[in-house]
Amino acid sequence: MRIVVFVKPVPEAETRLRPSADGARLDTDGVKWVLSGYDESAIEQALLLKEANAGSEVRAVTYGPSPRSEEVLRACLALGCTSAGWVEAPADLPPDVRLKVRALRQAAVRWPADLYLLGQQSLDTESGLLPLALAMALGVPGANGALDLAFDAARNELSFERSSEAGVEEWRLPSPSVIGLKQAKNDPRSAKLQNILKSRKMPIDRIPAVELPAAPEVTGNANRFRFELPPPRTGARLIEYAAPDEAAEKLVRVLREEAKVFP
Amino acid sequence: MSGPTLLLAETGPRGLQAASLETIGVARALAGEGPVVAVIFAGPSDTATAALAAAGADKVLCLRHPFLEEGRGAACAFVVAEIARELGVELLLVGGTPFGREVAGALATAWDALAATQVTEVRRTANGYSLKRPVFGGRASESLELAGPRVVLALRPNSFGGAPPTPRACAIEEHPVPTIPPALLPGTRVRVRPAESSAGPDLGTAPIVVAGGRGFKSPENFHLLEELAASLGAAAGASRAVTDAGWRPGSYQVGQTGRSVSPQLYIAVGISGAIQHLVGMMSSRVIVAINSDPNAPIFRVADYGIVGDLFAILPPLTKAIRTARGLPT
Repeated sequence: MRIVVFVKPVPEAETRLRPSADGARLDTDGVKWVLSGYDESAIEQALLLKEANAGSEVRAVTYGPSPRSEEVLRACLALGCTSAGWVEAPADLPPDVRLKVRALRQAAVRWPADLYLLGQQSLDTESGLLPLALAMALGVPGANGALDLAFDAARNELSFERSSEAGVEEWRLPSPSVIGLKQAKNDPRSAKLQNILKSRKMPIDRIPAVELPAAPEVTGNANRFRFELPPPRTGARLIEYAAPDEAAEKLVRVLREEAKVFP
Repeated sequence: MSGPTLLLAETGPRGLQAASLETIGVARALAGEGPVVAVIFAGPSDTATAALAAAGADKVLCLRHPFLEEGRGAACAFVVAEIARELGVELLLVGGTPFGREVAGALATAWDALAATQVTEVRRTANGYSLKRPVFGGRASESLELAGPRVVLALRPNSFGGAPPTPRACAIEEHPVPTIPPALLPGTRVRVRPAESSAGPDLGTAPIVVAGGRGFKSPENFHLLEELAASLGAAAGASRAVTDAGWRPGSYQVGQTGRSVSPQLYIAVGISGAIQHLVGMMSSRVIVAINSDPNAPIFRVADYGIVGDLFAILPPLTKAIRTARGLPT
């Protein structure tokens, strides 16, 4: 089974977020770039499928700038991916999912697979648009929010569950498909030290930006013009009370008269 | 603006989704005097269609096809894109549900549109639309300008308050289903197990959510949470510790690996506030925390707090709410 996992470098969770000098974007100075939790789950899922299907290959692919792209790809190799591909991108891509689709479609042509796997959304911009946008562009089935994938080689089918407004749905999709993963069966594994060392010497296949097709088909302009932090939460106003009845009545009163959210 | 503002409504086990009603209000506000047309995958005499017609749309287009009613994102997007082209639409709105997110992604390609999800504010500009959306789990927000001939937006639930639009004369029409390419209809939805959730509204879009944590100590005590939820007409949720322990089904989980919610009011009971949980609820408008530990991190993100034993607080709280709402106690 050939699996391609598309990953995106995101600032590590502990990053102190602050706007850039022009106020338009995240200040990335000194940010450490890592795989997001959803991407870690996608890698874990790909490795589980590889272990369950002898002779499988898992290629991690990212579309991003240097050096963060190589860093997360090395992390994927250290976790057990068999190869890595990097599609070069400028550091500040306009917020238009079609630009990503164009680049990743190029990667999918270069590295055909039985399964194109992604995290259900990135941890920074959290748009969740890419899985279906990419599936439509590749002309293959797509689904987002999948839990715990299995592959039936004899039927060439992927099966998974996902939650929707209707309940828990069970799906079977023919391969190849594009799937956005919510969670694998296991928590993501960590890399062993010897594999981290080995990953430093492994090759990363590169698609330079100039090899991407020009973008005449993308109409319209998307522009990110502000990045801001919410006003700091000052902490809860604690309700003072002598007896539970008093606490209950005071809370009802503030919700109704002050917060105005009482139904 | 040439064509109408189009919106895709969604039906669920409880009829028309609340997220779809909110979408009509936003479409109405952005369309000004222009027409608002709603697409629904249901019949003209279904209750969801009637609810949609009563909510302020000028026209409802009904399409029936089993695959569309299964909520297949790619097929639905293909059909909606065909209708949008036919009507000369420039702006298309969907609700911020998992289905809405899938359709918005598929439409970016199928309709060659600019797209954004989790939109909490939007206004028209000279060039297109200016919008705001939370990023990094609500720890920051970004503002985007989308200037293009075609824009699709998925709205974050409960973000657009205000009075519901005035109902207007609404035409309900059956619309033929365009021929869907077979490539967009692969695979099988084998079955659907209805979510084991509380009797209240859907967790993902409910205007009020009450959630319980490890502080409940055992599954037998969760009736206190369900009773509080019922008193408010709220959806009941839980922290990951609770769903991992099997005290509540997985469908209750609020947090990074569960549902992400942004209600008007979120009441966290016996939840300490691990970051995993906070990123799933931090963008709620008003947050109340009830916890016995005054140092619990949840108090740092909450607007109001009660430090106390939930077993002592919850029964009188439920009673006070029922009294205030004129419900039998």
